[in-house]
Amino acid sequence: MRNYIVRRLLQLLPVLLGISIVIFAVLRLIPGGFASGMLGIDATPELIAQVEARYGLDQPAVTQYLRWMSGVLHGDFGQSFRSGAAILPEMMTRFGVTAELTILAAVISWCIALPLGILAAVKRNTMADRVVRVAALLGVSVPGFALSILVILFLSLAFNYYPPLDYVGFFTDPGKNLEIMALPALILGASMSGSVMRMTRSSVLEIFRQDFIKTVRAKGASEWVTIVRHVLRNALIPIVTLVGMQIGSLLGGAVVIEQIFSLPGLGLMTLTGINNRDYPVVQGCVLFIAFIYVLVNLVVDILYAYIDPRISYD
Amino acid sequence: MRSFVETIRSLWKDPMGKIGIIGILLLIFMALFAGQLAPYPYDAIGMKFQAPSGEHLFGTDKFGRDVFSRVLYGAGVSLEVGIIAVGIGAGFGYLLGLAAGYFEGWTDRVIMCLMDILFAFPSILLAIFISAVLGKGIGPTMVAIGIVNIPVFCRTVRAAVISAKGLEYVKNAQSVGVKTWPILIRHISPNVVAPFTVQATLALSGAILTEATLSFLGMGIQPPDPSWGSMLAEARANMVRSPWTALFPLLFIVVTILVFNILGDALRDVLDPKLKV
Amino acid sequence: MKLSKRFFALALAGVMVLALAACGGNGGNSTPPSQSPAPTPDAGSSAPAAPVEQVLKYGTDTWPAGFDPHTISAIAATRVFNQVYESLISFNPDMTFQGVLAESWETPDDTTYIFHLRKGVKFHNGREMTAEDVEYSFNRILGKTDAGDIGALGSSASYYGGIDTIEVVDPATIKFTLKAPNAAFMSSLTSSYGAIVPKEVVEQNNGSLASIETMCGTGPFVYKDSVVDNYITLEKNADYWEAGSPKLDGITYYLMADESTRLAALRTGDINLCSLSALNLSEVQNDSSVKVLSYQSNNYTYLGFNLSSKKLQDKNVRQAMSLAVDRDAIIDYVYNGEATVSTFVAPAMGHWVWDAPKESPLYKKNIDEAKKLMEAAGYSDSNRMTLTVAAGLLDSIRDTVVILQQQLKEIYIDVEISNLESGEYVDIWGKMDTPEAGFDAMCGQNGSGTDPNRAVSFFFSSTGNANVWGYKNDKVDELCAQGVATTDESQRETYYLEAQKIVIDECPNLFFASPMEYFFVSAGLEGFAPYAANANNFNSITLK
Repeated sequence: MRNYIVRRLLQLLPVLLGISIVIFAVLRLIPGGFASGMLGIDATPELIAQVEARYGLDQPAVTQYLRWMSGVLHGDFGQSFRSGAAILPEMMTRFGVTAELTILAAVISWCIALPLGILAAVKRNTMADRVVRVAALLGVSVPGFALSILVILFLSLAFNYYPPLDYVGFFTDPGKNLEIMALPALILGASMSGSVMRMTRSSVLEIFRQDFIKTVRAKGASEWVTIVRHVLRNALIPIVTLVGMQIGSLLGGAVVIEQIFSLPGLGLMTLTGINNRDYPVVQGCVLFIAFIYVLVNLVVDILYAYIDPRISYD
Repeated sequence: MRSFVETIRSLWKDPMGKIGIIGILLLIFMALFAGQLAPYPYDAIGMKFQAPSGEHLFGTDKFGRDVFSRVLYGAGVSLEVGIIAVGIGAGFGYLLGLAAGYFEGWTDRVIMCLMDILFAFPSILLAIFISAVLGKGIGPTMVAIGIVNIPVFCRTVRAAVISAKGLEYVKNAQSVGVKTWPILIRHISPNVVAPFTVQATLALSGAILTEATLSFLGMGIQPPDPSWGSMLAEARANMVRSPWTALFPLLFIVVTILVFNILGDALRDVLDPKLKV
Repeated sequence: MKLSKRFFALALAGVMVLALAACGGNGGNSTPPSQSPAPTPDAGSSAPAAPVEQVLKYGTDTWPAGFDPHTISAIAATRVFNQVYESLISFNPDMTFQGVLAESWETPDDTTYIFHLRKGVKFHNGREMTAEDVEYSFNRILGKTDAGDIGALGSSASYYGGIDTIEVVDPATIKFTLKAPNAAFMSSLTSSYGAIVPKEVVEQNNGSLASIETMCGTGPFVYKDSVVDNYITLEKNADYWEAGSPKLDGITYYLMADESTRLAALRTGDINLCSLSALNLSEVQNDSSVKVLSYQSNNYTYLGFNLSSKKLQDKNVRQAMSLAVDRDAIIDYVYNGEATVSTFVAPAMGHWVWDAPKESPLYKKNIDEAKKLMEAAGYSDSNRMTLTVAAGLLDSIRDTVVILQQQLKEIYIDVEISNLESGEYVDIWGKMDTPEAGFDAMCGQNGSGTDPNRAVSFFFSSTGNANVWGYKNDKVDELCAQGVATTDESQRETYYLEAQKIVIDECPNLFFASPMEYFFVSAGLEGFAPYAANANNFNSITLK
């Protein structure tokens, strides 16, 4: 087991290295550099050269990359070109916001999807099944940004309500924090519930097919007892592994939702960074997001390997 | 493996499948005959913000362009982007997956590492990056969404190849010195078709959603080209005053994605009831 | 055994979730909410006697890219730091000068400017501002300080490049000597690039004022706190030099990137001021909770031609396009009627403006004449011209291009549109006189500034920094040189009017409209009268 974990961790290294190279190269391929963006139409070639020299952008790309990487390995992600602020602490603060949003959304999606998924499986091929499936698919089909704007417009026109604008952390003011998070998390969660529902339905169906359930049923246990006591417990495991897959979509969805709801999270930080061509910020954020994503997947894989004796980790 | 006709037939028996098939056919019809169906050119300007009426079925937008005509043309743009993007993803995914599974060893490791790298970016973020590099407009958007889709297809094919290689007769062929890759292709194709078709249908819905989101962020299809996403992005300042400018493109986005999802679901049930996401 | 394993796994997953959640709370934000928590539950707006909190809530579209007044001139940033930093002088609505940190001034000769500073003005750190701070600030801008040449990194140095020496006469008097007479010098001092900053703060921060915490000026509002990409709170400067000002207790800026969400929050009263595009005007027409304050900007929209492109070197073609454009239609569609037909000297510049819409034949739409010119240049229905156009950053520009595309269709021109991002825009802007730009033309919005030197020379003399089109006319060059070398107003007027006639006739750019700028404010906001040269003076605002 330990070997397996160590090996998986080692496998992460080339991936993270690759991500760092890809993101570094991609940023420099984006037309329009940092300097000209900062200087605007007053830019002259001399001014641009001056700015680039100050931020080390006149160095060869390899030098720049190595300098950045050696910083990162020492826990220093550098400073934002724009604000001069250190990036790592800023990212940690921002990650808190995104993590809370993501987790709330995931929990909401489970609350919607698990009961509905089970219902659809138990009543499969009935009207109820179809209605639930279409409803879940509908959640996936509405673009999050459009839903967000519609909801904001509706609440402001119908109830004269707008969520609080100044962000506060959960531990500072839990009530206000949850009020801020409620709408974005609901919208993000609703859009995720479709795939969780699908997964629940198919894993419950699969367990129904297994012999021991048939035995339980033959013994005359009531339908709901069977479901709760036996099916659900077994079906939950593949569903938990879905967390890994969900994380990617949730982090991606957060980019757009954070922009609309002005949540100071990692997604908004990345997007602003891209618009400002603030290279160190974007590099740091993307590497960080990818790291989180890969890590969560690793944890889920390990959990899965640990639970399921059929998977060997030699 | 069932034939194509048989698959369609069993799809048709499932009410969900029926909805999916009819929906897709309608969409394709809209896209192909937009020029004949549309009462106005999609870019002709006129009296702005007219409410829906007999003359302008879906009203007019801020330039007085006919929203109905633009929605019809938009079907073509959205489908084109979706199909070509998924084509790029599936094509490259297939080749890379085949190579990874067939050669194993270093080739496999390098390819899968590349896929892991692509996979580690949240897809919308990756699409934003790629279109920031390639520029905006239809072409770059298709390529960006295509690249995002490669890893899923690649993994599917690789898994099929590896399991096929373990089969007795492939091993036998290998031991007598027969080239195995034609056998593999012939053998894995039927195994791959099912997950591939399901995956492609779902990827299509994802592609249309991604296109709309990119356009919303101002990075995808550019106005005045009438993609649904760009129409929605353009209309959002006027949602209260003239909701029709935003609601009709939104309706078509939602219905299209829904139809592809329903079809994907039904296909999965028909082709392999054990398949999961 | 198997079961306990599963339980363990689920528990572990649960712990993971909790750990992340805890991280979310901790990391979120340690600063307590900025204002008194009172306003949150005031949904019932009918609470009668409670006095309205005098904090202006401003919905802003972009987070400032930095807070150094000597580096940044983007509106997203100036709207914040203009409340904190001040320059020596500013403009009155009639474009005459009013003293800010300078109380009075004299110009003994064409190249000498002496400013008498206001006494008793304090920086936000409590120290009194003196002439040495003025000297230090301009040295910083010009890159002559020990702390480094940060100021010179921005474009501010080019604004004040004409300064030869700066001399502290006494603690309340400062003398600038210019290298040559420069009629635009006074107006350049009104810019936020000329903000006066305290030396010790710059030095404490290793020469950089980019971070928001460093903001320390003499202005009416003091930086209090902020959460990046969320809000910035400024509070009243109790020691402000102007008695009784500002009336507000504070300003909070909220980042709201999306226009529709800004309007929604304005309607509910969660913000009470924001800027929105003209398209929103009709949205609030019948809304009694929102009012619109507008002013004529000194910006104008243009289509600039890449004169390295053969087909555009033909003046007939450029003139034909000017004749084919219906500027009123652009104003109607793009600005909902709220803009004025303009040249590159925007109508807000008053007596400096040559009235082209009335005087120039090229401003009267005439498709037949335009077709004739195009046909003379060899174009016809079977031989159409393709014009690749790069469209700038604003939605209004992108909309303008869509209208242009339709209007130019009629005269055998097919417009191909590409919308640019900010970085790209500047890159391509710099290359617009070469084929490398990849475009035949660029559509955008420029500012006439406050002096015709900027409006005319900067954009159309062959040495002008912003003449990126490859346009050169000897007569225009000569007139520009004459215009800046004298300080006699009427003399200057003749030179610049003459130059305008030539440029408009030669059409190196087409000019369309000067838009109105809008503040959308809540009905209870009073005492705010923005004008182009000073749109962010919030000193007399009160809230009801």
